[in-house]
Amino acid sequence: MKTMFYPKLALDGMGKNSKLYLPYILTCSGMVLMHYIVAFISEADTIASLRGGDTIQAFLSLGVFVIEAFSLLFLIYTNSFLIRRRKKEFGLYNMLGMGKKNLALILLWENVITAAIALIAGISFGILFSKLAELGLIYTVGGDVNYMFTVSPDSIIMTVRNYLVIFAVLFLNDLRQIGSATAINLIKSENVGEKPPKGNVLYGVLGVVFLAAAYCIAVTVENPVAAITLFLVAVLLVIGGTYLLMISGSVTLCRMLQKNKSFYYNPKHFVSVSSMAYRMKRNGAGLASICILATMVLVMVSSTTSLYAGLEDAIAEQYPRQINTAFKIDGSDLDSSDKIDEIRSEIIDYSGENGTATENCSEYKYAYTAGMIEKDVAETDQSKSLTYNELTMKGLYEFFFIPLEDYNAVMGTRAELSDGEALVYCYRGSYPYDTITFNGGRTLKLEKINALYFTGLSATSIIPSMYFIVPDVNRAIEGLPQIANIAGDSSVTYYWDFCFDTDLPDDRQHEFASGLINRLSDLVENDTWQLQYVESREYQKEYNIAMNGGLLYLGIVLSIVFLFATVLIIYYKQLSEGYEDRSRFEIMQKVGITKKEIRQSINSQLLTVFFLPLGLAAVHMCFAFPIIKRMLMLFSLRNDFVFLMATGISLGVFSLFYVAVYKITSNAYYNIVSGAKED
Amino acid sequence: MSFIEVSGLKKTYSTRFGGNKVEALRNVTFSVEEGEFIAIMGESGSGKTTLLNILAALDKPTGGTVLLGGVDLSRIKESSIAAFRRDNLGFVFQEFNLLDTFSVEDNIYLPLVLAAKPYKEMQSKLMNIAQRLGIAGILKKYPYEISGGQKQRAAVARAMITDPMVILADEPTGALDSRSSDDLLGLFRDVNCSGLTIIMVTHSIKAASVASRVLFIRDGAVYHQLYRGSDTDEQMYQRITDSLTLLATGGDRQ
Repeated sequence: MKTMFYPKLALDGMGKNSKLYLPYILTCSGMVLMHYIVAFISEADTIASLRGGDTIQAFLSLGVFVIEAFSLLFLIYTNSFLIRRRKKEFGLYNMLGMGKKNLALILLWENVITAAIALIAGISFGILFSKLAELGLIYTVGGDVNYMFTVSPDSIIMTVRNYLVIFAVLFLNDLRQIGSATAINLIKSENVGEKPPKGNVLYGVLGVVFLAAAYCIAVTVENPVAAITLFLVAVLLVIGGTYLLMISGSVTLCRMLQKNKSFYYNPKHFVSVSSMAYRMKRNGAGLASICILATMVLVMVSSTTSLYAGLEDAIAEQYPRQINTAFKIDGSDLDSSDKIDEIRSEIIDYSGENGTATENCSEYKYAYTAGMIEKDVAETDQSKSLTYNELTMKGLYEFFFIPLEDYNAVMGTRAELSDGEALVYCYRGSYPYDTITFNGGRTLKLEKINALYFTGLSATSIIPSMYFIVPDVNRAIEGLPQIANIAGDSSVTYYWDFCFDTDLPDDRQHEFASGLINRLSDLVENDTWQLQYVESREYQKEYNIAMNGGLLYLGIVLSIVFLFATVLIIYYKQLSEGYEDRSRFEIMQKVGITKKEIRQSINSQLLTVFFLPLGLAAVHMCFAFPIIKRMLMLFSLRNDFVFLMATGISLGVFSLFYVAVYKITSNAYYNIVSGAKED
Repeated sequence: MSFIEVSGLKKTYSTRFGGNKVEALRNVTFSVEEGEFIAIMGESGSGKTTLLNILAALDKPTGGTVLLGGVDLSRIKESSIAAFRRDNLGFVFQEFNLLDTFSVEDNIYLPLVLAAKPYKEMQSKLMNIAQRLGIAGILKKYPYEISGGQKQRAAVARAMITDPMVILADEPTGALDSRSSDDLLGLFRDVNCSGLTIIMVTHSIKAASVASRVLFIRDGAVYHQLYRGSDTDEQMYQRITDSLTLLATGGDRQ
């Protein structure tokens, strides 16, 4: 009998506080479930066998780690909330003669029961849903579906082991809180901390400064590579700024409102402003967490969906034809066409042997160099020009010189240019001048064109490019090849690109391209020419679908986890405030507040508390937009509209979801507060 | 007609599932003149608090009527009852019932703010009362920063600031030490001398001995009452003690 005493006491306590424990256990189970599923998928053979599967699984292993770290932090947060509400009960047990050891036993049993339920339920449902999740992923990245149901013992063991560690940490954290307090402390614990907070102006200002700095970075950064590093800095600043602002800034704001007598002493604002000022400090952290989580969800969902949605565009831009080849031309002999003819006929022969024609052929030669642009002067001498700002890389350009005849042939135009004139196309940059002067020497007179076929070269490049269409390339770049780059070679290199479509089915194009590589490398072997690449668009597309799909999948999985957390934070906040406010509204009713006024005041409080984080998250998102846009360029996503839509839709969906949660939890709140009225 | 007229008041509580009925008030009838200071005494469970709740319009009687300045409380619409309470009644509770989210000043302003009075008017009223009650120095403090006696004086100020018809006090000295109790009772007497009607429910003989009339309630009915007449507090104290002894021993009415 005696052995069952503590488990019974623990179960009893959890049952009586089911309003608190049920969501907690649900969350624990949910975390376990997610962990198992992601762990399972990151190991599953079906995924590994997909094209790009190893990339996806690498992403997902990262996801497993994120879920673990987040579970630990988040469960500590919710668990400490539970313990705070249970302290009174433990204090009573303590007074009635239970030692700390006995209390520890109750706590141990509580944790054991929670862990058991969470692990069993989480893993069972995890196994149940794992196939669904797997199919979802295969569908997202495109692959062959198989309906074999598998259970991964490794993933189960890993999940159980990691969560047992987390529950052990939670238990120790409980012990620490109970162990250091006396019985009286425990009983009174719910009433401590009732001091009105003083808004610390310094922290508030600091919060604003942090946010301003982060916003400034996000808006001004131009270079996609710099954007990635700076994005991390901005994220940290935003997190810090949000916490400071929510905790301290909001108290300061309320204090300022209170100073405005005619605003404050108004039935509509009086109660809500004062209680917000009062609880903001304690709940500011909660609000800030909600805001940060909401922002993370928005950023993840909008960027990964737009990557996925914009994939076709990006691929089409990078790979203008089904098969794309590029050769580095020996020396400066742009005019020599012998080798070009040889390679071209080799490609056509190869195609014929494989039973396909070469259609939509487009070929062009070009000279390539890079340098700085300052006003209307370009400098390609690296020893002189490399004073650019490394962080922003502003002013750094890649230059392509294309012969007019090739341009006319590919574009189907009949443009004519005389010596010293050039058509110019800027990719990812703008050039406002009518002329450009290279290295203080030759000046080209420019005429802008708005479309160019050749930009696949620059689609994956991180710096902007300028394309010059000139009647005579060698004339146009006169003097430039003599300049040496850092390695001592000529700073100008020459290429020939040959792209074409085949009438092969999609799945044979990759095979075709691989064969072509062997053929052509034989041909250019022992020669000063080099084969740059032979790429099949279809292969790259599948690879990108796998990668972007994997990212999207991970984004959605983590979003679900974060949403879980957001809902729970909101729920616990409402619950704890409900319990606190209960007695307050009771008093106010006695003093003569009407039910209508209570409702109004509750509404205005809830609305502020609820929509403050959402509003701030939306602001964060607006400022994050430009920097994320730049980072997406690295993935060749240039379609702003896709990203704008993705951001707008995810914000909209999230807001709807948020309103639903608001309705549900505010009902819970009303029930608690109005329950007091009927007592 | 009297200022407050209570006649044939009944209150029956039924348990949640029907069944047992408990009679808290059987038949209470009494009247109060304007400017009186009434103490209501009785044992626990005699129905004192129920009576006060009905007078405060916090609870509805099962039968009988309460007329306050000629207005029948049970006739007031549910929607305007809170406003009526706010404008005409002042409350002082045993556990002070100050809101910890408000400073002392804001706690006192609460009923006026709810009545949407302009700030200037509130301020001049507060200055007046704060001087009289000796709390001018603690207005900016928060309830947790001040003593029980100060809290109760703040509560009295909150009750008085609307210029109510009557102040209802439920065990106002219950949570105070004897010195603070004496201060508060002195305050009540002063307030009463300036013409404000007070009805106070109390256990404390000492508190009751300050009143101008004491009603004794037993088993849900007014069992006995004492008028002060020209007695001193000490004489009043003695008479109350005697009456209580009689009540406790269950003696018949004298």
